[in-house]
Amino acid sequence: MGSVDTAVKKYSENGCIELMNDNNEEEYGQNLKILPTNDQVNELQTILRDKTTTRSDFKFYADRLIRLVIEESLNQLPFTKCVITTPTGAKYKGLKYQKGNCGVSIVRSGEAMEQGLRDCCRSIRIGKILVESNVDTHEAKVVYAKFPDDIAERKVLLMYPIMSTGNTVIKAIAVLKEHNVSEENIILSNLFCTPFAAKTLVNAFPKMKILTSEIHSVAPNHFGQKYFGCTERGVTKKLIVD
Amino acid sequence: MAAKVQHYDPPSSASSESDDYEQCLENRGIFLSDEQIEEHIRDMGTPTPSSVSSRPSSTGLQKSPYMRRERTTSCSQSNKKTAAESILQSKTRTIYTAGRPPWYDSTGQQVEPFIIGICGGSASGKTTVATKIIESLDVPWVTLLSMDSFYKVLNEKQHEMAAQNEYNFDHPDAFDFQLLKSTLQRLKEGRKVEVPIYNFVTHSRETRTKMMYGANVIIFEGILTFYNAEILKMCDMKVFVDTDADVRLARRLKRDISQRGRDLEGVLKQYSTMVKPAFYYYIAPSMVHADIIVPRGGENAVAIELIVQHVHTQLQLRGFKLREKLAHLYIGQPLPNSLYLLPDTPQIKGLHTFIRNKNTHRDEFIFYSKRLIRLVIEYALSLLPFKEITIETPQGFLYKGKRSATDKICGVSILRAGETMEQAVRDVCKDIRIGKILIQTNLQTGEPELYYLRLPKDIKDYRVILMDVTVATGAASMMAIRVLLDHDVIEDNIMLVSLLMAESGVHSIAYAFPNLKIVTSALDPEINEKFYVLPGIGNFGDRYFGTEPSSISD
Repeated sequence: MGSVDTAVKKYSENGCIELMNDNNEEEYGQNLKILPTNDQVNELQTILRDKTTTRSDFKFYADRLIRLVIEESLNQLPFTKCVITTPTGAKYKGLKYQKGNCGVSIVRSGEAMEQGLRDCCRSIRIGKILVESNVDTHEAKVVYAKFPDDIAERKVLLMYPIMSTGNTVIKAIAVLKEHNVSEENIILSNLFCTPFAAKTLVNAFPKMKILTSEIHSVAPNHFGQKYFGCTERGVTKKLIVD
Repeated sequence: MAAKVQHYDPPSSASSESDDYEQCLENRGIFLSDEQIEEHIRDMGTPTPSSVSSRPSSTGLQKSPYMRRERTTSCSQSNKKTAAESILQSKTRTIYTAGRPPWYDSTGQQVEPFIIGICGGSASGKTTVATKIIESLDVPWVTLLSMDSFYKVLNEKQHEMAAQNEYNFDHPDAFDFQLLKSTLQRLKEGRKVEVPIYNFVTHSRETRTKMMYGANVIIFEGILTFYNAEILKMCDMKVFVDTDADVRLARRLKRDISQRGRDLEGVLKQYSTMVKPAFYYYIAPSMVHADIIVPRGGENAVAIELIVQHVHTQLQLRGFKLREKLAHLYIGQPLPNSLYLLPDTPQIKGLHTFIRNKNTHRDEFIFYSKRLIRLVIEYALSLLPFKEITIETPQGFLYKGKRSATDKICGVSILRAGETMEQAVRDVCKDIRIGKILIQTNLQTGEPELYYLRLPKDIKDYRVILMDVTVATGAASMMAIRVLLDHDVIEDNIMLVSLLMAESGVHSIAYAFPNLKIVTSALDPEINEKFYVLPGIGNFGDRYFGTEPSSISD
């Protein structure tokens, strides 16, 4: 429908929709996708980064951004075409998502994204990985992991909101691989990512799909602390680094 | 809005609403007289009925605080009933309880209402004539405006004069013609007006006002209706009620003496010094402007019959057949620029597949439609204006970002289906105000009718997200948009948000309101003969709320 295109095109000229930034594709390959940016998304990011934002606002707007990222991540899942009948008796050419997906959150800040996933897929199975970083060395160590038994046959939506070095996520993916999850079945959902982490991950796992809302040299590392309202065990003075 | 066919019973408790700016249309479709206003006040539990009493008989003296003057002495039984129930029963039908039918044409433009001006001396039976006309008209939406609401606010000295029986309420100077003119003008434009409520004890205007709307027919009555040339020009039909002076005096005497305990001498004095001169100086000469002179007032059935016939002819010339007209306009034209269609992602298509499928259970239907609504609302918000700001981050660097350029956003849902979108709006905008508009389809005419309205008081300053789940012909949406415009909301500030629209509806709305933004998640090509979108969703409200006819439900 040519005219619909016009509407959308006009919209993109306004700078509201930048479907994919070409530079990103050149730099990070086609498996890294950035949430279609518009003023609204940018406002959410601004609020989350603003140090004057109250906790209540922070959680509220974080949840909104998470929901958008999750919805976009679900777009990466495979689907098949189908035709259904509407109540008016007419046929509608739609599409159907395949079964066999699951979510995996990286404790703790990844858990903030669980509700967003639940809001979209009510009964989805969710596994968890706990990775602890050494405050001084930034070395990450897996402490706990619990997945659905058949995770190897599933598409995995890995949730972690902030990546500055990518160490935690690398560890988590390593655990998933140990459970025979293949790299191309992993979709990483992320809110804020540094160029360093993006490059590291794309190089380490070229077949994995990554979805983020922003690539920026400074990650808002206060996310987990502000979202949950308490510092992590033993780490009181330093901000939590992933 | 799907052409849902159902009977609607206006809630009877609505008349006791005390919130001034919230309106309940079925209650205010007609504004008969001061008695009625008083009834309202009594309903609201104001202890002293005298606080607002009827028009004084030219002076404020000797007025028993508990005595209400009947609007006219020729008050018929049906007249009293009207005052009491704000519903007019005429033989077999109820007239004012129906919703407000369209008051604009298929391009969204206002159709000027037909204004009947009724003039006549004091106690000539103007109100009776007005009521009889309304009874015979059989038009569902009529507004009756009385000149009594436009008495000037008296200063202290004048107030004293009134108490001394020396203030002339029959003189043109006693009326605020400026306000009257602007009020009538707005009514003629179909806009909302706030009609003052005049307090005859304090001779000032109440802080409360009466909300009124332009209607298909507006009847304007008073003793000096034809006095002001500009007001005279606004009247499409001018009726003079010519009742014999003896009869009028007799009515006054009877009323003032028997109902107010006033003495014969006082009434006569007042009549001869003020009422009678005013009649001969100002009222009687204005008879030349009349199109029709009705002798003997309300008893004159032939004259009323003639008036009604003329009004009917005029209304037919301005006829409304919106929905059918809308459904067949603009076939095969390019889509308007004001349409913003959500990006066609697999998720959105997948969600549509779920909610369009007739075999989808309600549980899933609700869940997936909510998800889709959320996406639509998020998208709609991104179309609002933003400004660039720089903020400080906890990491110690400055971040250039965006903030919404407006904090005055409100939602307005078109009941019933539009209500399903409210939660999503609340989920994305903290503490957002939400207004409601109920529009139902008339069984007989297939036309949308406005039944109920609740909007934030200062809605004109807001950006409005107007929510309607499905738009077929666009008839209901256009009515809602018209309502918002009538409340002085700026067209650019309105955004119509829906899940599914038919192309023809988009065309109609965009043509009528080019500056309005239209946001939807899907566009369907057709509308069937029942005004359902094809392939469509079916009746969204019924499926969501589980009220579909039992043959279909599972």
